[in-house]
Amino acid sequence: SRPPSHNIVPTSLILCATYHSEGHSGQYYTLPPTHIQKLFPYGLPPRFQLQIKTFNEGCVMVRPPALELISYLKRADYSKPPLRYVLYGDIGTGKTMSLCHALHYCYSQGWLIVHVPDAHLWVKNCKELLPSSSRPSRFDQPIQASQWLKNFKITNERFLSKLKTTQRYVWTKRESTEKGQPLGELIDQGVNRMKSSSDVVGAVLRELRLQAGGATEGEGAFKLAVAVDGVNALWGKTSLKKEDRTMCEPEELTLIHNLRKMMKNNWSGGAILTALSQTGSVFKPRSAYLPSELLGEEGFDNMEPFVPVSVSNYNEKEFESCYLYYLDRNWLQHPHSRSEEGKKELIFLSNKNPSILERLCAFL
Amino acid sequence: MAASVRHLLKPWTPSLCLMRWSRYNPYYLDPDPSKDARVPESELSPEEKELQELKTVSPIKAALSSDTSSAFNDPLISKFINMMMHDGNKILARGIMTQTLETIKRKQVEKYHKSPAAKREEIECNPYTVFHQALENCKPIIGLASVQKGGKSYQVPVPLTDNRRRFLAMKWLITECRDNKHRRTHMYEKLSQELLAAFTNEGNVVKRKHDLHKMAEANRAYAHYRWW
Repeated sequence: SRPPSHNIVPTSLILCATYHSEGHSGQYYTLPPTHIQKLFPYGLPPRFQLQIKTFNEGCVMVRPPALELISYLKRADYSKPPLRYVLYGDIGTGKTMSLCHALHYCYSQGWLIVHVPDAHLWVKNCKELLPSSSRPSRFDQPIQASQWLKNFKITNERFLSKLKTTQRYVWTKRESTEKGQPLGELIDQGVNRMKSSSDVVGAVLRELRLQAGGATEGEGAFKLAVAVDGVNALWGKTSLKKEDRTMCEPEELTLIHNLRKMMKNNWSGGAILTALSQTGSVFKPRSAYLPSELLGEEGFDNMEPFVPVSVSNYNEKEFESCYLYYLDRNWLQHPHSRSEEGKKELIFLSNKNPSILERLCAFL
Repeated sequence: MAASVRHLLKPWTPSLCLMRWSRYNPYYLDPDPSKDARVPESELSPEEKELQELKTVSPIKAALSSDTSSAFNDPLISKFINMMMHDGNKILARGIMTQTLETIKRKQVEKYHKSPAAKREEIECNPYTVFHQALENCKPIIGLASVQKGGKSYQVPVPLTDNRRRFLAMKWLITECRDNKHRRTHMYEKLSQELLAAFTNEGNVVKRKHDLHKMAEANRAYAHYRWW
């Protein structure tokens, strides 16, 4: 670790996520590069990925919402159905980052991670929308499904050979996956044959649901963490059109349908971590940020009961810590930004909103 | 008739500011948005006292909406943004400028963090100093003017004012980035590449400046055709 260069708030600590507590609120901890490659091939916000590339390290600030989430995960009973946690807050306050922090905790505890980095990407801008091969009124998205399967494979490599399928899946007249095959084969099937990749996603999710709470001890035991960012996309509208130019409902998309089944708490042995998001959403006003506004009636009824976790702008101590981190990493270059008045200006311009502060400091 | 004669007898003063579209009377002063601390009366020299009094009495032109009293305001950057602006779309021009500064800073800070401690001090990470230095390196010292003599026009080497030099440097940077780069790259990427090259005296804009200097040197025989 680096020698501390500022005496007010120590900037970087390489801590294991298990040991984070309230005392560490406001301090930064470094994500190990191997973990970033494996766990977050596409999970982190794009500007944070740029920051990792520029600073040559990935440092995340420890904040109360993430700490709250991790404490709930530590104390939950995993023989009961999973608890649903929903991170909500205004735009740019750090919901995705808190989700990633909690997910890193789960990964370091050895859980199996099902991470949908942005559910909004599955309901808009799809180039190929194929009618489903298995069911008549459904639509497949082969590109998105195969991309997700590849990322899933990278994240959960060690589980792929241990878990076995519980039933026989028939893809076409000549292709099928027998009962008892390792999960890795199922995923390879989906990656290689793009046509059936959405159905493979559904099969994988079903297998994980059945086996998560199964063996409580021994080799097969694992806890399942389902993390979905932009969960309001599952119950909103899509911007996709069918061939007869009518709007597509989210229910008619295979991927969305299977993910909704995952959100129900009729399985056990894991947790469901979600975050709402207005920035990628379709047909939602910019001022909407509360769960009832973004999820809508249908979504709220489906998600209820859930544990809401509110994420807000930086407080004084966190702002101070962020400012010192940027100074330490040689990011604030303008001489005025390093003075007291410049700092007050930054507070005024950004209102201590994390994303606006980051964008301001980028060109100063 | 007496009125017209009286009009001819009084001394001529311009009734408008001699700037391109300015409709202001010349005795209007320019606004000064900087937050300079007020120096007490005793420390000012008599000329400065007069100037202060003039500022309190005479009218001042309206400030531009792009001027800020904050110390982050840089007149050179504002001028460059105005030159990049197209159809009055200042928001887009300013966005491109901030993205350029960010890209320059990212490249330099990445280099800084990857290099060993010995080489770190040589790397300039401040995008504003990079921009100012690059612009200095692109400014031509001497220019050419077309003078017609005896039916033929000659390219005559001519000194340039500071404003003209700054204008030429900025114009060359912008046209170079607009015309001679790959179609699919963004403007901020092209600008950042060109600025970083100009900072180390490489790149097409500096080459164009050197070509101009060589032409002026080649035509130095015609220097005496200049009468101003």
